[in-house]
Amino acid sequence: MNFFKTFKHDTWVKPYIKQYKGLLITALLLGLLTSFCAAALMFTSGYTIDKAATPPVNILLIYVPILLTRAFGIGRPVFKYIERLKSHNWVLRVTSDLRTRLYKTLESDASFFNEHHKTGDIMGLLSEDISHLQNLYLRTIFPAVISYLLTIIASLALGIFNPSFGFFVFLLLFIEVFIVPLVSVSIESARRAYQKEVKSDLYVQLTDNILGVDDWIISGRKEDFNNLAAKNIHDLDQSKNKSKAFRRNRDFVLQLVFVALAICFLIFTNLTMTHNQEQANFVAAVVLAIFPLSDAIIPVSQGFEEWPTYRDSILRLNTVKPVPNTLPKQVAFNPDDFKELTLDKITFEYDSDSPILIKNFSQKIKRGEKLALLGPSGIGKTTVLQLILGDLSPQQGQIKINDLDISQIQENREKIFSVLNQKPFLFNTTLMNNVRLGNEQKSDAEVKMALERVGLKDLVESLPDKYNTIVGENGSRFSGGEQERIALARILLQDAPIVLLDEPTVGLDPITENDLLETFFNVLHDKTIIWVTHHLQGINHVDHVVFMNSEKIEMEGAPEELYQTNSHFQKLYKMDQGL
Amino acid sequence: MIDKRLFRLPGTKKLILMLAGLTLLQAFVVLFQGKYLAEALVNSWEQKSLQTIIYPMVLFALAFVLRHLFNLVNTKIVETYAGKTSENIRSQLLEKVYTAGPEMISEEGTGNLVTSALDGIDLVENYFKLIFTKLMNMSIIPPVLLVYIYMQNVASGITLTVIVPLVILFMIILGLAAQSKADAQYKQYTILSNHFLDALRGLPTLKMLGLSKRYAKNIYTVSDEYRRRTMNTLRIAILSTFALDWLTTLGIAILAVFLGLGLINNSFPLFPALVTLILAPEYFLPLRDFSNDYHATLNGKNALNAIFEILERPSTAKDDNLADFTWDKDAQVDVKNLQFTYKGSGEKAVSLDIDQLKLAGYQRIGVIGKSGSGKTTLIRALGGFLVPDSAEIQINQQTVPNFKQANWQKKLTFLPQSPYLFAGSIAENIAFYRPQASMDDIKKAAHAAGLDDFLNSLPKGYETQIGEGGRGISGGQQQRIMLARAFLADDRHVLIFDEPTAHLDIETEYALKRPMEKLFQNHLVIFATHRLHWIKEMDYVVVMDNGQIAEQGTPAELSRHNGAYSQLINNMRGDQL
Repeated sequence: MNFFKTFKHDTWVKPYIKQYKGLLITALLLGLLTSFCAAALMFTSGYTIDKAATPPVNILLIYVPILLTRAFGIGRPVFKYIERLKSHNWVLRVTSDLRTRLYKTLESDASFFNEHHKTGDIMGLLSEDISHLQNLYLRTIFPAVISYLLTIIASLALGIFNPSFGFFVFLLLFIEVFIVPLVSVSIESARRAYQKEVKSDLYVQLTDNILGVDDWIISGRKEDFNNLAAKNIHDLDQSKNKSKAFRRNRDFVLQLVFVALAICFLIFTNLTMTHNQEQANFVAAVVLAIFPLSDAIIPVSQGFEEWPTYRDSILRLNTVKPVPNTLPKQVAFNPDDFKELTLDKITFEYDSDSPILIKNFSQKIKRGEKLALLGPSGIGKTTVLQLILGDLSPQQGQIKINDLDISQIQENREKIFSVLNQKPFLFNTTLMNNVRLGNEQKSDAEVKMALERVGLKDLVESLPDKYNTIVGENGSRFSGGEQERIALARILLQDAPIVLLDEPTVGLDPITENDLLETFFNVLHDKTIIWVTHHLQGINHVDHVVFMNSEKIEMEGAPEELYQTNSHFQKLYKMDQGL
Repeated sequence: MIDKRLFRLPGTKKLILMLAGLTLLQAFVVLFQGKYLAEALVNSWEQKSLQTIIYPMVLFALAFVLRHLFNLVNTKIVETYAGKTSENIRSQLLEKVYTAGPEMISEEGTGNLVTSALDGIDLVENYFKLIFTKLMNMSIIPPVLLVYIYMQNVASGITLTVIVPLVILFMIILGLAAQSKADAQYKQYTILSNHFLDALRGLPTLKMLGLSKRYAKNIYTVSDEYRRRTMNTLRIAILSTFALDWLTTLGIAILAVFLGLGLINNSFPLFPALVTLILAPEYFLPLRDFSNDYHATLNGKNALNAIFEILERPSTAKDDNLADFTWDKDAQVDVKNLQFTYKGSGEKAVSLDIDQLKLAGYQRIGVIGKSGSGKTTLIRALGGFLVPDSAEIQINQQTVPNFKQANWQKKLTFLPQSPYLFAGSIAENIAFYRPQASMDDIKKAAHAAGLDDFLNSLPKGYETQIGEGGRGISGGQQQRIMLARAFLADDRHVLIFDEPTAHLDIETEYALKRPMEKLFQNHLVIFATHRLHWIKEMDYVVVMDNGQIAEQGTPAELSRHNGAYSQLINNMRGDQL
């Protein structure tokens, strides 16, 4: 059974059930009390009117049942209310722990991002997984546990009066809360997984078709456009219809078992409780008490159905493992002492399938030098930057700062390197906070100064909230060029001697690009810069250009010199400049 | 509660009639279920033998089973309807995308709108599934039961009647309180709830800044703050459910007490009291069901609203009246006084104001300008993807109000910045404009586009399946497939390019240049770009600025004086080596 297999090596669900045990038990107890009160309300009401109908009677005789009826009538909603609060509180507490843990785990594994940054939004998935776990508790585990407890308690209570009837009731309830849910999940599991897959395909398909609609319109192939997703839609519908039919029939079966239970109670009470009037007064009480239980019992199967979603989340979270720290002994390094960065015959590949291959790559970059790295996309330009940072380690060769291997100075790396990439990340908070991340010690005035140096002063001061403007999700409040400038201001505060630029201007128009490059090289004039770029705009700012190509360096040199001596470079440059 | 537009959907009226019938039947079996259960219980109470309860017991069981059978049929009907209708809405949406899509997508943010509308179809289906049944149950079952309860015992009937408006009143009051509290917190709330994702996505940045270790503490603090706020809101938000629960269970408790007191006074026998007590929970059940699914219905309703909004957008007038023609070296298009304004959902208004523009024969026309100058808007208007507010357009002496003409679009090949490749084989993608093309023709086109080396490197060659959007293929190869597509479509003599090489690295771009120049022959070329080298290939340049044509003429003419053209070129070029 995949259910148990999933949990065998799990470290994301089980340990947390043990944590905050008190709160968890309270929540479950309250859930149990809610169901108990619901049953007891019907029990005491049934008894009250039976008793009241039995002459001779006076008000004092039914005083206690009346009181109890009221108490249970109030108890049920109150317990239910508190139970919902407690269970949410428990789940959210666990969530805080889970989030912290996921964060710390990912933090320990820098290479995780390199491996996964291509496979879509892995971060979005992981964060969704954690909310799935919330639902696993609230919709599946809690209701199931409560229904099991109810089953056991009810069967035991009946067993005290009549062991065989107690056992019989246990069997019927066992079918309702265990057998049917299990059958249901084993039948639906594969179907659900299939539906999920087709659905995500369909989503991608539809989104893409909307993006490509221009082409379809001019192609005049309207029929084909409408039929593009037809197969997936059809398959999904078929499978969903099967699921729906299964669910309807299953719920019907659950009700059939339940009515059997009711009949059993009717017969049992008639046979055993009709010997004297005092006993007979309990007949309605016992029979009516079982009906509210269906509220707790019937939905268990439905909760189980969502298992495939939860399973995927649990499995995915369990693949995220902390990475042991394998760094050598760290050495204190004063960034002011930086003299040169050496890449000595480095060789690197992810695996034999990956197109990225760096072979025997050497460079020496002196303090204050500016280097540009060019080459076709996918050749490994960004990988070189990751190697320099020490996020990846070369299979052969060495990368050194002065005489120290790069792996020895990882501890305070932010003092040595700044990085600016294509889509700098801005946190959804104020502009001020975002820039100050570069160095939290800096004063407001220094932050403002940095923003002025990157040429954003006028823009920011024209905004209604000025420096306290919220940048929006992924910095969406600002344009691409502006986002780069904000990130540059951050780097200015960071004040590290080496700046790595990873295609910071891709996708910008040439005028914005020129302005931006101008600003970059202007404010960073005293820094060592390694700049990955995809064309030759602004190449005059650097001292040295390296063209990487598969497996080797195609050409390198000072740009002016290359322009004079290398005809290929000259051709490319002329094309780029439209000369 | 229910959108009137729902009734316009096909099959809704029929569905409602059928449901009404079924629900009425259901109401009666619920009633019988209670009646016979009460009879059986009264007999047991009177200490009668098992034989006396068999008859009512069987009828009770029968009623119970029938009730759930009706429920099954009810669900089936509703689910079929919901499935069909939401499918229908999906295809209407796609149809709308085809007829009015480009205009919608050009509008800022509407592209997202369409995708999210498609995404919302599941919510809509769920909404259909819930709304009809729940409303029907609520409006039919309680009244039927209430009539019967009045017949049995007037006092109980009055009690139950009085509770309902109380329940609704409380729910509204508390619901509003919760709503206003939630609204007040909403903004802070979304920031807090998105904080974790924000931190995960920003983790590499935090690491670069040396803050990532310390930030872990922040994650816990913020998450706990979120918990605190959620609990505060939840306390009020679930009060309305609490009130409903409380009033209904209390209603049952009060009823039991009333009935008990009545029985003591010998006002009525046991049976009416018991049947009332049994039916009381059934009486409240539809109301409770409805409130439980209230939020799900609300989401569905909003999603449906969004879809209706898109479907109800006015379609551009059907002025597709251009007779078929051939584009050859003598063909020409005259555009005069073309005006277009669109105020997007953002702050930027897109507008276009073209006094005069002429496209003739196999000219090569470059469209340049800084970003936001209206290059793309002009290109899209010429392609018929945007419909101008007003324009005098003549295509080969035929007057038309816009370029959204099937017979004009039939002459076009469109090569955008990010190529569109659909899921299928490479051959199918090349044959996009000519699905019936022979394999020989496809191969010739692929050869012309310089795809030979790439195709040879693939084990399955032309039959290689490419994912949607061309995933798994480099940008350069994607553009080559687009070029092959254009080579194959040799009956289309108008090429429209929208910055086709902007994202490519310089060497890939260099390699693409030759096949593109070959493609230009015998075509009218309209080429929007900010890559300067393409201008040399053009025989006419249109310089856009602020939605207007700042200058137009041959490159040689324009470069002779220091006008918009020369200034733009200088700005773009930047400092030289």
